[in-house]
Amino acid sequence: MMQSQIVSRPRYRDLAAEDTAGTHLLIVEGDTLAAGQMAALATAFAVVAARLQTWLVSAPATALAPGRVRRLHTVEEARTALEHIEDGFGIADRLYLQGTEPFMWSLATAAGRAGLSPTQIRMQHAGSLKRRVWCTHCHQTTENVTTNIATCAGCARALLVRDHFSRRLGAFMGVMVDAEVPGEVPQREEVFR
Amino acid sequence: MIGDTLELIVVAVDDIASSLRHVRLAAAGGGPLPPAAAGANIQLRLQGAARTWRNAYSLISPPGRRDAYEIIVRRVPESRGGSAFVHEVLKPGDRLVASWPSNLFAPQRTARHHLMIAGGIGITPFLSYVADFAHSGASHALHVCCRESETGTFAPWLQACGELHHYWDADGHRLDIPALLARQPAGTHLYVCGPAALNDEVIQAAANAGWPASHVHCEHFGAALSGGTPFTAFLSRSGIEVEVGESESLLEAIERVGAAAPCLCRGGACGVCVTRVLEGEPEHRDHYLGAAEREGGELIMPCVSRARSTRLVLDL
Repeated sequence: MMQSQIVSRPRYRDLAAEDTAGTHLLIVEGDTLAAGQMAALATAFAVVAARLQTWLVSAPATALAPGRVRRLHTVEEARTALEHIEDGFGIADRLYLQGTEPFMWSLATAAGRAGLSPTQIRMQHAGSLKRRVWCTHCHQTTENVTTNIATCAGCARALLVRDHFSRRLGAFMGVMVDAEVPGEVPQREEVFR
Repeated sequence: MIGDTLELIVVAVDDIASSLRHVRLAAAGGGPLPPAAAGANIQLRLQGAARTWRNAYSLISPPGRRDAYEIIVRRVPESRGGSAFVHEVLKPGDRLVASWPSNLFAPQRTARHHLMIAGGIGITPFLSYVADFAHSGASHALHVCCRESETGTFAPWLQACGELHHYWDADGHRLDIPALLARQPAGTHLYVCGPAALNDEVIQAAANAGWPASHVHCEHFGAALSGGTPFTAFLSRSGIEVEVGESESLLEAIERVGAAAPCLCRGGACGVCVTRVLEGEPEHRDHYLGAAEREGGELIMPCVSRARSTRLVLDL
């Protein structure tokens, strides 16, 4: 499910610090943390440790992290903090995100509003494959979708979840699955577990 | 040249400094010219007594103006002849064939701030940028490196410039490039246009400071670098052999013998003139080919590159 013929579907790779002179901000979705993952991140970011801030979002209180650590409770809290960074971002700064796609893209789109370029953002997927889905009919988003067909939170249509992805919205496209033959909805399967 | 050409008439020439000539060109047949955006250039065909030059010049007229194109030409001491022709021969009433405007150096519309660094006559594309930014209200800063005596030369085109700084070669007046690049906010796009040494220094400093390459833009004026040791080029498709002289480019030699060679920027930047090399070793001077393509030795940009070997066979 992380690979697709659809070119808009983002690809992720293991995080590696780029040794630039700016501030390096790593934001990790805590409840996706697996054993050994933080140690791997600490190694990957050793080179910029002196300029590193790590935000742990919804992480267990015992979780350790490299750099200057800040603990946040929710992705919304992290998003607000990103948008109100003191003095804003600099051109040499880098943002690294690790977590589920809805988590990473919530923060990436907020960072974009704060002026950060996509070329300054790196992402590594971790945890569930759940998707945020944007309805092409009513333009509402439906969160935490794990099935190939989802009920739209806005208009209640049965949506076929596509691999087409919007970087602006941070969401996959959902289109009405029974538009041709109303009522003919295929079996739902949990494919984005 | 790509597409149709334009016939222009010289309306005015005006020396704005000892080595700088301002030229105003209008459509020879009257009527409006094709519009051009900030950063655009035109290629002029300069017909001398013994040879023809095709040189690209940035348009300094305000973007969108259709009554005239304006350029500023610096007379280069080791000129290949084009700039000397403009300074010595060109006069009002002369007709010139020109390309349509093309633009390989347009401002980035998503930028939150435009940071421009100009070296010498490399200021010319930024004169149209400044007009554009003044009109749109975009945040911008222009840092000009020039001779101390020329700090006021471009003032007429910089009335509306926001932040403007001049630097020259004296203690306390040189541009500290790393310091300037270190303190820029996210969303800034950097543009540099000047001599190769300045361009290289700025690009390197930006990379060192951690600027993403997507936010660093450069316009080279590389045509002056196209001369060198003479060599022979054989055009295999047309069966023509041509001697490339020390003061002409490979592309100019090809054009001199009448072979068709598409081109656009004439400065090794756009990639339009890329040609297959069948035999011989190219000496790459362009900014277009990647490292692997250079090593492969099978492609050449005839507008600026030459030969290491005494003979090149080209698929032309």
